[in-house]
Amino acid sequence: MIELDEFRAKAGEWLHSVKAEFGPDARRGLSDEQDLALGRRYMAARYDAGLAGINMPVEFGGLGLSGLHKIVFDEQEMPMGFPSVYFGISLGMPIPIIMRYCEDKQWVRERVIAALRGEEIWCQLFSEPSAGSDLAGLRTKAEQDGNGWVVNGQKLWTSHAHHSDYGVIVARSDPSVPKHKGLTYFWIDMRAPGVTARPFELLDQSVVCNEVFFDDVKLTDGQRIGPVGGGFGVAMATLMIERYVASDPDGYGPSVSFFMDLAKDVMLNGKPAIEDGRIRSAIARNYAMRSGLDAIRSRAFLQMEAGLEPGPEGSLGKLVSFRSRQKLSELAMDIQGAAGLAYDSEATTTHDWAVSWLSAPTGRIAGGADEMLLNTIAERILGLPQDHRPDKGIPFNEIPV
Amino acid sequence: MSILYDEAQEAIAKESRRVLDAQFDKDKLLGLLDGTGRFDEAFWKTAVEQGWTGLAVPEEYGGLGLGLLEMGLIAQSAGALCAGAPFLTGNYGVTQILASCTNGALKQAWLPRLASGDAIGVVAFEEAGAPLPSDPAVKYEGGRLSGKKAAVPGALKADFAIVWAMSGGKPVLVLAELNAAMSRAVDSFDNSRLYAEISFDGAEAAVLFEGEAARCGALDCLARMAVVAAHEQMGGAETALLLARDYALERKAFGQPIGAFQSIKHSIAELYGLVEVARANSIHAASLEGQGGFLAAACAARLSGCEAYDTAARDAVQIHGGIGVTWQLGLHLHMRRARSLSIELGNALFWEDLLVTELEAKAA
Ligand SMILES: Cc1cc2nc3c(=O)[nH]c(=O)nc-3n(C[C@H](O)[C@H](O)[C@H](O)COP(=O)(O)OP(=O)(O)OC[C@H]3O[C@@H](n4cnc5c(N)ncnc54)[C@H](O)[C@@H]3O)c2cc1C
Repeated sequence: MIELDEFRAKAGEWLHSVKAEFGPDARRGLSDEQDLALGRRYMAARYDAGLAGINMPVEFGGLGLSGLHKIVFDEQEMPMGFPSVYFGISLGMPIPIIMRYCEDKQWVRERVIAALRGEEIWCQLFSEPSAGSDLAGLRTKAEQDGNGWVVNGQKLWTSHAHHSDYGVIVARSDPSVPKHKGLTYFWIDMRAPGVTARPFELLDQSVVCNEVFFDDVKLTDGQRIGPVGGGFGVAMATLMIERYVASDPDGYGPSVSFFMDLAKDVMLNGKPAIEDGRIRSAIARNYAMRSGLDAIRSRAFLQMEAGLEPGPEGSLGKLVSFRSRQKLSELAMDIQGAAGLAYDSEATTTHDWAVSWLSAPTGRIAGGADEMLLNTIAERILGLPQDHRPDKGIPFNEIPV
Repeated sequence: MSILYDEAQEAIAKESRRVLDAQFDKDKLLGLLDGTGRFDEAFWKTAVEQGWTGLAVPEEYGGLGLGLLEMGLIAQSAGALCAGAPFLTGNYGVTQILASCTNGALKQAWLPRLASGDAIGVVAFEEAGAPLPSDPAVKYEGGRLSGKKAAVPGALKADFAIVWAMSGGKPVLVLAELNAAMSRAVDSFDNSRLYAEISFDGAEAAVLFEGEAARCGALDCLARMAVVAAHEQMGGAETALLLARDYALERKAFGQPIGAFQSIKHSIAELYGLVEVARANSIHAASLEGQGGFLAAACAARLSGCEAYDTAARDAVQIHGGIGVTWQLGLHLHMRRARSLSIELGNALFWEDLLVTELEAKAA
């Protein structure tokens, strides 16, 4: 296996060599469709450079390297600002699941390579209007129909569904048993008759999420992933695939040093803001917190390199970093005075405080809301009791609505 | 010390909320975010019809001669519905300065038009993040202004500005008429505030106050406007709080309303604390208008208003989960307005410093 340092150097060299072609300057002013097309070209180039599917098995078209190699690549890729966002969920969850569960290996290999090259995109159809944090409360139905299944219902939030070729979906196959037990997991062709994806706007007018409707959508039993009634377990496995992904202590917002640059630039009481005690305190505290997250992450890597299982403290990253980003962005807007009122919709979350502020709340909700992360820490790590759950153990169709 | 509203004030609160409720149109407000140059015209029409524009204008100039308490109540209703035009606070500010100056011709020219809603005035003090810079770069020489003021609220539609400038080593407050060529729209996250950069380029202006009188007048004007804005912030914070409360009752997860989870319940209860402190501080400050201790009370109202609205907007979105970050639900209207009101009139750091300076002076 290629040494980490050598791999880091190789990845860095390649990433820099394509910066002009795929970086923020190349993306500025593109429509969503054009940006996606650029993203597809980037993924193909990455595949051709031998840097795709880093920790995926060779038999499926991956490189067969370790999870650490993948993190090493992702950490260098993240600050480049390339259009890779369309493929994150696709390659992060659905693709590993079909590699693990699907039996037709040749078909899986074709899908994996197409997804790595950006030719095909997969989405994750879990959340619904009345089932977000409480995923097991979902209502989309999968009913047995001859040898196959028929799906009816609605998903909500599905990221990139409007660009997707395939999706993985959890549906209720048996409403007469308690909510976790009556779910079954499938893959689905997003172009099949009866599937409709309707994108909608988030608060910053970005279009990522979709409502997806299923109207008598037919599936073969071969599209089932895991046992009938075992869907919740597969869904949990999907969410656990990469416990240690490359996270970002800045919460994908501007860095503390970017804040310091601003604080040197703007004036407070006739002096550079950075000389004000309150600003110094904000810098110091945000730095201490983010450097702590960074150190947690580095130690986890060392543990992984040593073949040990990293500790659960890695789950703090998303919780802490987005809150820090949200408040620091507000302070940065404040100290700019009137200039802090301006908004440039073309600017990026890492280099513009107002843009960072406006989309920060999304990061505190998507992929598990803060409160659910805190519940997980309290219950799974610290062994505190669960809240009272009145629907526990009751057949789904007997839970009062 | 504070006050209880009298019957007439209670009626203003109720009636202003009723008429604004009746015209509330979320889609219209969302549409206003889309570009520069448009504002909540229905609100302004209502403000004129209801006589709110003349509320704080002296009776001899066609107004009602009422004060900060009444202005605050209107602002609270506007804030509750994310309604409002920046002129509500801006016109109040320029009215205060004009009413206290000695230039009879200017008073005669502008106060009646402000009262009737025919004229719009803005306050242009800030430079480079300082709400009242000790050495403003905008200069007043030979009857003319030069220099720029950035992102002045309301400036895109204003007829005149009262400007904080430097004249021969002394600060002055001057009145300058504006025309379209002088204002450049600033694209903002809250576009209906009509922010524009004003370039004076030799515009004619008339002096209202000079030297120490200018400084005192400008500071008093800022503090008064901050009290109006604090009411607006408190109204908005209360709406965000109530929306969160209602949603926590209605939305179910794990077989119960999410309001049953202590983390949700307590964060809503914390908002209640912030809103009530902001309310009490706002009323208290308004009741001290023109009396000793007003400035410190205004600072306290400003600080608690900013904290209440920013926090309530942030937390209400979080409590709504995914639906809270959609364009269509419009909770971000409160996020945006909370931020714009916290930045206009100067950041919390400025008001903290001002407050502590006041407290020190009192203690000495
Ligand atoms: C940008 C974005 C992209 C997304 N992409 C996808 C996707 O691709 N696929 C997909 O399946 N889903 C996706 N989601 C959905 C996301 O997973 C859910 O929004 C999230 O899980 C929260 O669910 P909810 O929105 O229904 O909020 P709710 O679950 O209704 O939560 C509302 C509030 O109640 C709190 N709450 C709920 N239960 C508890 C509890 N037990 N204790 C304390 N507090 C509680 C929550 O923390 C939150 O504050 C996406 C969401 C967003 C915003």
